[in-house]
Amino acid sequence: MAKILGGIGTSHVPTIGGAYDRNKQNDPDWAPLFRGYEPVKAWLAQRKPDVLVFFYNDHATTFFFDHYPTFALGVGAEYAIADEGLGRRAVPPLKGHVGLARHMADALVNDEFDISVFQDLPIDHGVHSPLTMFWPPSPDWPGKIVPIEINVLQHPIPTPARCWKLGQAVRRAVLSYPEDLKVVIVGTGGLSHQMNGERAGFNNEKWDRKFLDLIARDPRKLVAMRHADYIRLGGTEGAEEIMWLAMRGALSPRARKIHQNYYLPMTTAMAVALFEEPDAKPAPRKARSARKTRRNGARASA
Amino acid sequence: MNPQLKGVEQLGGTYLFDLATSARALRLNRFLHGFTVPANRALFKEDPEAAFDKAGLSAEERRMVRELDWAALMRYGASFFCLEKLGRVKGVSNPEMVAGFRGESLEEFLKTRNVPGAR
Repeated sequence: MAKILGGIGTSHVPTIGGAYDRNKQNDPDWAPLFRGYEPVKAWLAQRKPDVLVFFYNDHATTFFFDHYPTFALGVGAEYAIADEGLGRRAVPPLKGHVGLARHMADALVNDEFDISVFQDLPIDHGVHSPLTMFWPPSPDWPGKIVPIEINVLQHPIPTPARCWKLGQAVRRAVLSYPEDLKVVIVGTGGLSHQMNGERAGFNNEKWDRKFLDLIARDPRKLVAMRHADYIRLGGTEGAEEIMWLAMRGALSPRARKIHQNYYLPMTTAMAVALFEEPDAKPAPRKARSARKTRRNGARASA
Repeated sequence: MNPQLKGVEQLGGTYLFDLATSARALRLNRFLHGFTVPANRALFKEDPEAAFDKAGLSAEERRMVRELDWAALMRYGASFFCLEKLGRVKGVSNPEMVAGFRGESLEEFLKTRNVPGAR
């Protein structure tokens, strides 16, 4: 059966991908950002998940306002890197896990989460801007993805509580997939930023740090908040934090935050947090063989 | 009224992109979204008026795009994420657009940032 190893919350500012593409890891302005992703990259390299399930938002790239989906699940085998006005980033097309995605579509709809589906469409920086920081292609991507788009552009956008429930439904869907897959859930967006009006450039580090605390310790508090609260505290685009709620909803209550980084260089607070499920960690070889000996010993003496 | 948004109207300098805004500026946003297609970018660079004609933009819409009047475009109902594509085509960075929304020069805006070089 498929299992969930943990989750990642991350900002998806386009400049994160831009810094990677321009090899800025030793530039003092960008080094703190790269360093913050190192533990996430190392964790993924060690745990080797087969699939990353992404809660992300499109930026009027793949979808336009003639039909903007509230929730849309990608069920394709491949997603081109979207052209957002500058041509495509020089990274390979994203690979979709068709088996898991189709199962998730069946499971979600039968769980009364009537999600729309898409295939054969390009995907923008909402997924791949942070992805290269922790799962870089060398030369191809280390595994496959299942993308789930959430509308945060055109109000009404789904409520924080609904995104949490979507996360829970995605958890049920993933865990009921019969193949032995290792899955990590990713939620991208935020933290505080506002990209419109005279209030553009608004940030709130105090709120961001509280959010990073609550998402691990007491996510129900975040679920109970309204969008007006998110916008007041974290700016209009701070509403992207609902993707983190969907990610957290897909983890068990016992998942622990084992790493976080926060960097606010320009207009958007760039954060990353890594969550691990308690049973995801393989026991050290020595401890495993010791347990086996004990078990065998117990059986022998019984 | 969307109960999720009650209270947002008290925040100054904030333009929520809702269905009314979306409907009002649909033609302009469609034009901006079109910059995801290389042929549309090429036409706009070569002959902006022809690109405006093709999209059926009004005189005011043309003026705002021609002059890169970011604040006016925002007030009119342009989605930031569509404007971002115009920014890329014209070589204007997001911080410069944000400065425009605030009625500041890029230099003034960068003075308010923690790491002005991180662009």
